[in-house]
Formats: sequence, C-alpha cells, structure tokens
Amino acid sequence: MTAPAGEGPLLELDRISISFGGLRAVDDLSFRVAQGEIKGLIGPNGAGKTTVFNMITGVYRPDVGAVRFAGEPITGQAPHLIARRGIMRTFQTIRLFTGMTVLENVLAGQHLRTRQSWWQSLLGTPGQRREEAELVERTLDTLKRLELSEVAHEVATSLPYGMQRRVELARTLVASPRLLILDEPAAGLNDRESAALNDTITSIRDGGVTILLVEHDMNVVMNVTDSIVVINFGKKIAEGGPAEIQRDPAVIEAYLGQDDEENAA
Amino acid sequence: MDVVLQQFINGVTVGGFYALIALGYTMVYGVLKLINFAHGDLCILAAFIGLTVLTSGLGGANAGALLLAAAFIVAAVAVGIAGAVLEFTAYRPLRKAHRLSAVVSALGASMLIENGIMLIWSPEVKVFPANLLPDLTWKVGSASISFVQVMIIVGSLILMAALYFYVHHTRFGTAIRAAAIDQDAARLMGINVNRVIVSVFVVGPALGAVGGLFVGLYYREAYFNMGWIYGLNAFIAAIIGGIGNIPGAMLGGLLLGLFNAFAAGYVSSSWQEAITFGLLIAILLVRPTGILGERVAEKI
Amino acid sequence: MIAPRRPAWARVARVLGPAFWLLGLLVPLLLSGSWISILAIFAIYAMVALSQDIVLGRAGMYDMGHAVYFGVGAYATAILNTQLGWPIFATWPIAILVAALVGVVLSAPIVKLRGDYLLVATIGFNIIFVLALGNNVGNVTGGPDGIFGIGVPHLFGWALSSQGALFYLDWLALAAVLLLMRNLERSRVGRVFRYLKEDELAATTLGVDARYYKILAFAIGAGVAGAAGTLFAVQLASVSPGSFVFTESVTLFAIVLVGGQASIPGVLLGTALMFVVPQVFRGLAQYRYFAFGIAMIVVMVLRPQGIWPRGRAR
Repeated sequence: MTAPAGEGPLLELDRISISFGGLRAVDDLSFRVAQGEIKGLIGPNGAGKTTVFNMITGVYRPDVGAVRFAGEPITGQAPHLIARRGIMRTFQTIRLFTGMTVLENVLAGQHLRTRQSWWQSLLGTPGQRREEAELVERTLDTLKRLELSEVAHEVATSLPYGMQRRVELARTLVASPRLLILDEPAAGLNDRESAALNDTITSIRDGGVTILLVEHDMNVVMNVTDSIVVINFGKKIAEGGPAEIQRDPAVIEAYLGQDDEENAA
Repeated sequence: MDVVLQQFINGVTVGGFYALIALGYTMVYGVLKLINFAHGDLCILAAFIGLTVLTSGLGGANAGALLLAAAFIVAAVAVGIAGAVLEFTAYRPLRKAHRLSAVVSALGASMLIENGIMLIWSPEVKVFPANLLPDLTWKVGSASISFVQVMIIVGSLILMAALYFYVHHTRFGTAIRAAAIDQDAARLMGINVNRVIVSVFVVGPALGAVGGLFVGLYYREAYFNMGWIYGLNAFIAAIIGGIGNIPGAMLGGLLLGLFNAFAAGYVSSSWQEAITFGLLIAILLVRPTGILGERVAEKI
Repeated sequence: MIAPRRPAWARVARVLGPAFWLLGLLVPLLLSGSWISILAIFAIYAMVALSQDIVLGRAGMYDMGHAVYFGVGAYATAILNTQLGWPIFATWPIAILVAALVGVVLSAPIVKLRGDYLLVATIGFNIIFVLALGNNVGNVTGGPDGIFGIGVPHLFGWALSSQGALFYLDWLALAAVLLLMRNLERSRVGRVFRYLKEDELAATTLGVDARYYKILAFAIGAGVAGAAGTLFAVQLASVSPGSFVFTESVTLFAIVLVGGQASIPGVLLGTALMFVVPQVFRGLAQYRYFAFGIAMIVVMVLRPQGIWPRGRAR
C-alpha cells in the first residue's frame, strides 16, 4: 500500500544527530515514513533505535536536524504536545501504570479525548459523570478488539508478558493515533504470539494508522513491514524493502560481522 | 576593610563546622539517596556529650588539652556508633520500601534523638563554661581571631583533608565512591555494599559530631532542638556544593559560612534565616545539582 | 473507581465512612466541652491532611511545606476580619482563593525539580513564610504574637459562637472535603494525578501536560488547606506563626505516609494518631514526643505502606 500521490510523508527525520557526553548516539540520520505504511527500524543492540524514538516523541531534543510530522516541524517539542498531534508510542520496557487495572490503564489513553474541566471534576457534575461512563464504554470496546475483555479488571502488571504488551498497545489505540510508534512490540513473545501480533499490526494499519516499529524479531519485521531502515552506531546503513535488506551486504556485516571475526580468531 | 576581614574570619570559622556537618548529609545521600533528617540531631548530641565530658571534672583542674581531646573523641565515637545503630534499626529494614517511608523513619529518629537529649540533659539551654578553652586572641591586621576560631578552622581543614585522602586514595574510599555512583554495579564488582553503608553512617556522623561540638564551643551553648537549625543550614550547604559530592559539601559549607557572615552585616537579624533559605531556593531553581554536582543521566 | 466487582469488606467500608461521619454529629450532644473542641480540631486538621494527601499521596510530589497554605487561609481570615471588619463567611472564599493562588505562585517555579530538591524547596518556603509572619511583614500580620480577637461566623443573623455550633461547621466542612476527594478519585483530574505519580514519562506520552497538572494539584491542595485555615482561625479566635511552622508540615507529611498514601481512611487515622493522641496523652508530658518518634520508626519499619493503605490490601 503506497502513499497517495501528492501527499508528503507523514513523518520525516531530516539529518538529526544527538550526542550524550562525548558519545554520538545518532549521527546525521534521515528517513521518511509515508502515510499508511508500516516502516521498520532495525539494527544491532545499542545502535540508537530507542534514542531515535525518543527524539521523535520529544523525550530528547536532537542537537541538530529537524523532525517533521505532516509537514510541520515538531523538533524538540514537549512529549505531551507531540501526543496531541496524534503520535502515540509504546516502550521497550513496557510502561504500564502499576497498581492499576487493565481498564484503568487503557482509559489513560483517552486523556486527550476527555473534555471535563478541573472544576467539573471536583464537583462531580452530571456532565462529568456522563463523560466518565462514555470513556469507560469506549475503553471496553477497544479491549474487546484486542481480546482483553476478560482481564479488564485485573491489575495490569500482574498479567503475563504478552498480555501486558497488548494492554500497552490498547492504551495507544484508544487515542486514535495517526502515527503509532512501537518499540520492540514482539520482545518476549513466543512464535504464536508473534504471528498474532503481525495480524494485529496489519489490521491497525488497515484501520488508517501509520506505523513505525523497532524490532529484533525477524519474523515480524520481514513479514509485516513495507520498508525498512537499518542503522548501526547511530548511522543509517541501508534502506529498502524487506527482501533487499536481507541481501544487503552492509546489513549482514553489521549483524553478523562480529561472528566472522570471532571465528577467524 | 577591617570589617570585611573580620567577617571573613568569622565566615570561614562557621563554614568549617557547617562543612563537617554537611559531609555527613552528603555521604549518606551519595550512597543511599536518602536525606538523613536525623543527622543534625546526632551532631548536636555530640555537643551535649562533649559538654558532659568537659564538665565532668575528670583529670582534675588542669586537664586542659587532654580533656578537650577526650571530649572530641568520646563524642565522635559515641555519635558514630549511634549513626550505625540508626542505620541498622531505622533505615536498613526500609531499603526495599518506598523512599518516603525511610524519610518518615528519619523524621521519627530525629524526634527521638531530640527528645532523648531533652530527657537526659534537660530542656533548658546548657551553657558551656568559660574556662574550657584558653582565652587567647591574635591580631590579624585590624581584625582578631580567637583560639576557638583557630581550633575550628584548623580542625576542620585537617579532618576534611583526611576524609578527602581516605575517599580518593584508599581502596575502601574507592568502594564508597563506587557505591555512590551505582550500588548494583558495585555489588557485582564484589564490593560489600552493606559495609560501605555502615561505614558511611559511622564516618559521616562522627565528622558531624566534631562539627557539633565545635558549634557548642563556639557559641558556648547547646539546647536540645538546636539540631534542626544547624542541620538545615548544613544541609543547604551540602546542596549548594552539590549533594552527594564530598568536595562539594566542603565548598558549600565554606560558602554558606561566608555568605551568612557577610549577610549578617547588611541584613537585620530577623530576616537572616530568610536570606539563607532564599539562597537555597535560588540555587535549586538555577542549578539544583549544586556547584560541583554532576548531572546523572537516566536511561529511558 | 471503575471496578464493578467489590469484595465484601469493601462494601462494608463504603458504609462505614458515612456511618462514622453521621456518628460524629452526635458528638456535641454526648460529649463534654473539651472533647468537642478536640474533635473540632481533629476535623480541621483532617481537612489539611487530606489536602496534603492530594499533593503528596495522590500526585506524588514531596511537599513538606504545606502548612504555608493552612496559614495563608488562617491569616487571610484573621486580617480581613479584625482589620477590615469583614464577616467570617465573607472571608472564607477569599481565604481559599488567596491560598490557592499562593499555591500556584510557589509551586510554579519548583514543580520541575526532582523529588528531594522539591522537598527542600518547600521547606525553604515554609521557613521564609513563618519568618515573614513573625516579622510583621506589611504591618498586618501582627508579629510573633499574631492576631487576636477573631470573631465568630454569623449565619442569617445567628452567631455560631458555641462549641457545638463551631463543631458542626467544621464537621460539615469535613464532609464537603471528603466528597471532593471522592469526586477527585472518579474524575480525569484524579486519574491524571495517579498517572503522574506512577510514571510521569508514560503519562506525558499519552498527552498529559505534566506541569499544568502538578501546579493544579498544588492549587487544589492549597485551596482546601486555606479553607481549613479559616476554620482554624475561628476555632482559636486567634492566629500566630507558631501554628504554621515547618514542623507542622513535617507532621502533615508523616500523617500521609503513616496513615497510607491516597487512602482516605488512612489519612483520617493518621490525623487522629498524630494530632489527637498527643492531646489526649498530655499527661505523659515530656515523654510524649520521644515515644512518638519511636512509634513513627516502628510503624514505618513494620508497615511501610502505611497503617491503612489504599484499596486492596488491608
């Protein structure tokens, strides 16, 4: 599925770099994500992938370069403003709110769609209470979509890992994002769960959401993405469709190069 | 000019004992990320213990320097032990719990020590007798410096130098610094982190004890709820220098002492405390990690 | 909360709360004068403690200078009543507003600070505040002795001057605050506070404007404390700096931790223990606070989550 002609990319990274202390974590990185595509960002451990996500979502500010969303610059904006534009993300380490149920966690995703003011909250006005009921309804619908209805009232962090990932995903979906950024969504999942994840990701995209994901699980990456960017040591080393990337010598070197050296020694 | 010099001398003196007390806060915070609210009270406990030794009549009328030394040693050892006991009973059980639980435990310990002092020594202000120290003064330009001031300045410098050497040039000192940077990594490197923590709770309070006794000897009085005022001031000093940073505490103590001495000349005494806390808030807003503190990055 | 299943004990607890409050209405009828004042003071401090809980227990910010807002409310009423002749009930909304405003102004520069630094900054504000009061700043605060001769509230011409009348006023105000807390829990604002306390970063990526909500927490907490301040000024018919010193803030902080963060029964229990018990055991005189200190350590070590923690565990 390619972007309709005449529309620019939904997300554009334009020569961004960032250093921590003396270490250049991301170096002159550029790529685009077209509307409606599923783009993969891969690379060996420590290549800087999460740092790239953090720069897109406003957690870090790039030292140089620009990030653009639907043509508008969002470089260095605060995370909550980026979320307001319709960019939602999941985390590598799963950041669900501890001590809260699945329902309460996913409800959090609706923050931007909630209208009640602070004084309505304090007074408990009828309008406020009505909105609360609506929020719960919408949340339950999303839970049903992701087959989480049964655990709606369980403490989210007490669930098995694979389910927690689905809860985090549900939390982002309930916000109806335009761009969804997934940080290693398949980490810790077995083969069956990965396959289910592939279907979920595809159906999310079919619902009109553009997706950018970081992943190590090649079953997911190769089967679900439309195009892939490969980075190593913070620099882009290849970009293209899954088949090309698999054959690209620079990519093979980056992932497997160390093994050859060890074998030779 | 003579006023400035005199204020400078006063400021360095006060800075000396603030630095010693601040070191206790900073060492504990460095390793445990805990503000030991009971620390100030431990230091003042030392003043009371020292006073008891000095007025005990031991060694007869001319015990002089020996009795003075004994007072310091007894106070430092006693308070050092108290620090270790405090760690063991009030903080160690809470290592795995929410940070604030340890804070409340610390506040309880502070209350306990303060009121313990009151119960043992009486709620009244205790005066240090006049003849404990030689009544000598020397001229420095047009200012003067007294024996007690010299004692405090020299004593503080010696102790700070000793601590600096210990922390930077001995193996155990390196272990302390390692534990302050990353406890888990230190543990994995084979460092006995428990031992580090206990020693920090002995050395910190012991140094503060000397500072506390200096306070008592300088102002020639001690009262049971003094701990909070000197504790808070020393804590501010630690923050100015960079909490968790040992040279920072020394620098912060000195700067705070000087700041207080000079501000006293220009601000009415009823607002003086406000100035100190105003300085604290200003530092927190502009550079919360203090002058020498480092930024610690968090991996997200 | 949004959980439809409730274990039996929770259903009982829901009834216990209102029952306890209704029982309180009998106090002026059944108990003696000194008990009525003790419980009136309890109601007032409970309100302040609940307001502290909003900032500390619910929004997760280390506020150890909360007595400032209590004092602002009390002094606002004292000044308006004794120097400008305002009736007490007229001063009440002003006290709340001014306290909330002070909350906004003080918190705005410091909410960005990391936990411990925020804590120290609030201590600093508290100390400066009390110093200013004692120094008779603006010539209205009456210096170290404070302000005397605060009047009684009048309701439709009736003077609420008796112990019992004041008690009912305080008890009703407490009910209002409890209702406010309950509404908070079931609303967006209350939820956002929880998110911020749990994981601020995740919350911001979901669109939460952390700075706004943190300042809002302080504003609401300050406003409620200010409201309690008015009642306090009326109860004592006077205000003085000594009631708002930093050690009072420490006590409020400890109440929330010892009672149970974000737990209404916990905070009420904590208030009872920290304020009422010392009053009752005045006979123990000097040993009181020594025992207190030990008790605080013991409670924290044995039950770090507080005596009556929020929600599931008990």
